[in-house]
Amino acid sequence: MRSSDPTEKLPARLWRLLLIVLIPLINGGWLSGPQSTFETEGPVAKEQLDVFYVTLWVTMVIFVLVGAVLAYATFKFKARSSEDEHAEPPEQSHGNPIVELSLIGASIFALVIIAVPTLKAIWYTYDVPEELQDIAYEVNATGYQWWFKFEYPTELVEGPMGEAPLVTANELVIPAGRPVRVNLRTVDVIHSFWVPKLAGKVDMIPNRGNHLWMQADEPGYFWGQCAEYCGESHAVMRFRVIALAEEEFNTWLENQKAEARTLEVAADAQIANATGDYPTFRVNQKGWTEEFDADPLGNWRAIQEIPALGEEDAALIAAGRRYFSENRCAGCHVVRGHDGMGMIGPDLTKIGSRTTIAAGLLENTPENLYRWITEPENVKPGNFMAHSRKVVPKGMVVMPGYRIYDAEKDEETVDIEITPEEGHALVAYLHSLK
Amino acid sequence: MDQSLTKNEFIGHEEETTQEAKRSWLFTRPDHKTGLVSWLTTVDHKRIGFLYGVSSLFFFLVGGVEALMIRLQLAVPNNNFISAQTYNEMFTMHATTMIFLAVMPLSAAFFNYIMPLQIGARDVAFPRLNGFAFWVFMAGAIILNLGFFVKSGLPDVGWFGYAPLTAQAYSSEFAGDMSTDMWIMGLQILGVSSVVGSLNFIVTIINMRAPGMTMMRLPVFTWMTLFTAFLIILAFPAITIALVEVMMDRNFGTYFFEVSGGGLPILWQHLFWVFGHPEVYILILPAMGIISEILPTFSRKPLFGYPIVVFSGAVIGLLGFGVWSHHMFTTGMGTVATAAFTLATMAIAVPTGVKIFNWIGTLWQGHLMMRTPMMFALGFVWMFMMGGFSGIMHSAAPADAQQQDSYFVVAHFHYVLIGGSIFALLAGIHYWFPLMFGRKVSEYWGKLSFWVIFIGFNVTFFPMHFLGLNGMPRRTFTYDGNMGWNTPNMIATIGAFVLGIGIALYFVVMIYTYYKGEKVKKDPWDGRTLEWSLPNPPPAHNFDVTPHVHARDAYWYEKHHKEEIAAENAKQAAEDEAHGGVHMPSNSWFPIITACGMLFGALFFCNHIMMGAIVGLIITFFGAWMWALEGPGGYHLHPTRKNDGDPAAES
Repeated sequence: MRSSDPTEKLPARLWRLLLIVLIPLINGGWLSGPQSTFETEGPVAKEQLDVFYVTLWVTMVIFVLVGAVLAYATFKFKARSSEDEHAEPPEQSHGNPIVELSLIGASIFALVIIAVPTLKAIWYTYDVPEELQDIAYEVNATGYQWWFKFEYPTELVEGPMGEAPLVTANELVIPAGRPVRVNLRTVDVIHSFWVPKLAGKVDMIPNRGNHLWMQADEPGYFWGQCAEYCGESHAVMRFRVIALAEEEFNTWLENQKAEARTLEVAADAQIANATGDYPTFRVNQKGWTEEFDADPLGNWRAIQEIPALGEEDAALIAAGRRYFSENRCAGCHVVRGHDGMGMIGPDLTKIGSRTTIAAGLLENTPENLYRWITEPENVKPGNFMAHSRKVVPKGMVVMPGYRIYDAEKDEETVDIEITPEEGHALVAYLHSLK
Repeated sequence: MDQSLTKNEFIGHEEETTQEAKRSWLFTRPDHKTGLVSWLTTVDHKRIGFLYGVSSLFFFLVGGVEALMIRLQLAVPNNNFISAQTYNEMFTMHATTMIFLAVMPLSAAFFNYIMPLQIGARDVAFPRLNGFAFWVFMAGAIILNLGFFVKSGLPDVGWFGYAPLTAQAYSSEFAGDMSTDMWIMGLQILGVSSVVGSLNFIVTIINMRAPGMTMMRLPVFTWMTLFTAFLIILAFPAITIALVEVMMDRNFGTYFFEVSGGGLPILWQHLFWVFGHPEVYILILPAMGIISEILPTFSRKPLFGYPIVVFSGAVIGLLGFGVWSHHMFTTGMGTVATAAFTLATMAIAVPTGVKIFNWIGTLWQGHLMMRTPMMFALGFVWMFMMGGFSGIMHSAAPADAQQQDSYFVVAHFHYVLIGGSIFALLAGIHYWFPLMFGRKVSEYWGKLSFWVIFIGFNVTFFPMHFLGLNGMPRRTFTYDGNMGWNTPNMIATIGAFVLGIGIALYFVVMIYTYYKGEKVKKDPWDGRTLEWSLPNPPPAHNFDVTPHVHARDAYWYEKHHKEEIAAENAKQAAEDEAHGGVHMPSNSWFPIITACGMLFGALFFCNHIMMGAIVGLIITFFGAWMWALEGPGGYHLHPTRKNDGDPAAES
């Protein structure tokens, strides 16, 4: 539940108190979780929750009243015996206009109670309030099947094709305590941007410029998910939002804008361990741990830390960088400063500093990353790293995935295969990109 | 009808039969009374209603199995019971099947069977067209479900098939995948069936009411049939246009929704929901009609506030066309449009609430007979009320921004569609079962099935409210165990199986009743409307004598004014006989032939074999042309002329 606000009106606080006590009693805490719409962390979600409470209480009152009359009528007028059943029929009355009209009036009154705060909230939640527009921060979010690209239009960096906005993927970092306007775009089908604790969803629709605004009151780590069915892997198209205090946000931005991190490799360096020891995973196996969830923001901060000198195997990383190029990863991905111009897949320049991979699905551990790059199909069915598209959308540039599809024979042939050695080196390389 | 038709001199003359005899075999209309041919060629509204009923119940079970697959997959997090692709096919087909192949045709079964009886008609206005509507429905149903048997698999674009997911590029398992084509063709063909059937019902209700059956004396179920029929003929053109456009995009390279050519996917949503929202009322209005018949019968008093119930049905139908964008609150419509659709949506709650008030008013001071249909009807009122309340929560757009496309919506529409439509239809089956088959459900087993269904339904869907508010999006084949969704999902799955057992029990009870149920005499519930004046099962010609209607609850009036009615009937019988008896239509092969042409053509079209599609079209036109040429046919019955040796006479 939200922190209490002293300016709140008393009845509203009482209601909320009642709910805090009652709802867990009824449902055992079913309204608590990383995507709970009840544990709001910003003004937009809070406004939406307030409207929900109004609708909830008005309908609850009506339900209790109407339900009581219905239950009473059912028990009172029920035929209980054979005598009742064979009694003369009751008076054949046809209705009572006064009762009916007053009930219609009462319904309209109840709806007006809902309508007023609803209208107010429609305008409030639509866009950043005028008085806050000066301090609003703007980002672009673009949906892809099945991941999110995030762009910072005010932060320009030197990319493979000249100066362009800073790009990251699947983890949107925003300043806390400031309204954030998110411009919503998509490159393929309709997706929907939803971070329940910060704001209700708005769809990303082709050929349509949508937006939403949200604000995280405090620094925090939030779960989000695509909320419009977008094809085979819709269920695993997720993302995270990390809100940081101004200073920490700026530090993060500076690091992100820098080119990819490169380690010095001694000429005679040997790879200490050429193959890692990776477990096998079943299809759709979970990719989260309780340790991470216990302190997600703390864990996010931990993963930003650059390892001390000598902790990483520079030779292995260099090999991974070579494999990255050899396996044509750079066709779809870009590691700014190293390799690649690809715009089809997520930008990997700082992949090592993200807490999740595969669109917020798996924690960014070596095991999970190895699993994802060696067996992408088992993580995210139908994804376009594992397969090339069967039918190429008009106007879209498409690179083949690991497997190339032959429409004539309706067959897939393996084009890219990541060997265990390559996978191990790629994991080390990608994790060095912080 | 009967006056106009029986007085028609052309049909009434004796020599007509001799003219018929001269026709070639091609134009001789079959008149089999039993056997397979009699069913394939039937034009009897009761038989067609029965066909609708049986096939929709079959598809109801298919959709139910699909639902159980979905629930099994979601029982535990990160489950692998079915793949993502199969899951997506299951939820697409579950919705499509339940809406278009179960609830709509089951409603149509009642329209067909009950409505003509309620207005004292001998059949619908266009009996052959009625048969055609059914066979076209079967054609559409077959095409939609072919995916079970072919490589393409089932459609997987969701029941509202949002563009551009339906474009070739995004809906293809492999090049040449036709699952989406089958979805498009199947729905178009089902649309033909619905529109044809609805026009038939409208003409029937407007023109064929018995003498004295004024509009304001129509039984409420007939009123709701009329409104539903109007909703169908006004709403289906929108989806037909949308489907034709997406078909053109897929097959002929047009750019209605094709993004690269500047097409607008948002247009699909407007076209779809301008159909889709009235469709919701197409599903619920017949249910409301059934409830408005059952509650008065088992309360033994007239419906409370009949004019307001009828009028609110009309208002729901009208407003239903002005609220479609509340399905699109998250598409960034802007403030004014959102506000307008919010207010319109709230407004529609008023006529809906009115109906609930009037149903309670009907119970008030009644003698409530707690029979199985009444149990389902009361269950309907409770569950529909809850679904209505979550509907009001959706109408508040800012709150809906969190609820849209979450399990809260799933909970909402299952409360109105199962707790609403399905409960009412299940009530209707037991209510009219004695009329259709002369047997009555055992109260013990009927009520037991009700309680299992009622409990299973609530255990399944009530937790989904919490799932949605706790951030679980719909249409997801998997979820993680750290989201707080595990317990409600497990409970929902258990509930789904309880519900499944309840439905299975209901079917067993229904089939048992058909073969072994208690035999009943006519009018077992002390009914109020004209259908109960008939023997069970009703004879082919329905009414021996065209009834005269004097009051709203026509049969109730008859039962309390026996002498007046007897005198009137004797006079009418003599008049009918003077016109040559009851004219009955002959059967016809052409409705099913025409429908088969559509099936044939659509199958080839889905396979992109245009020559085959053209051949199918030719068969369709041939069928319709021959249909026009086969002549009136028909024969006469003399139900009131007894013991005169006429072989055709029935008494």
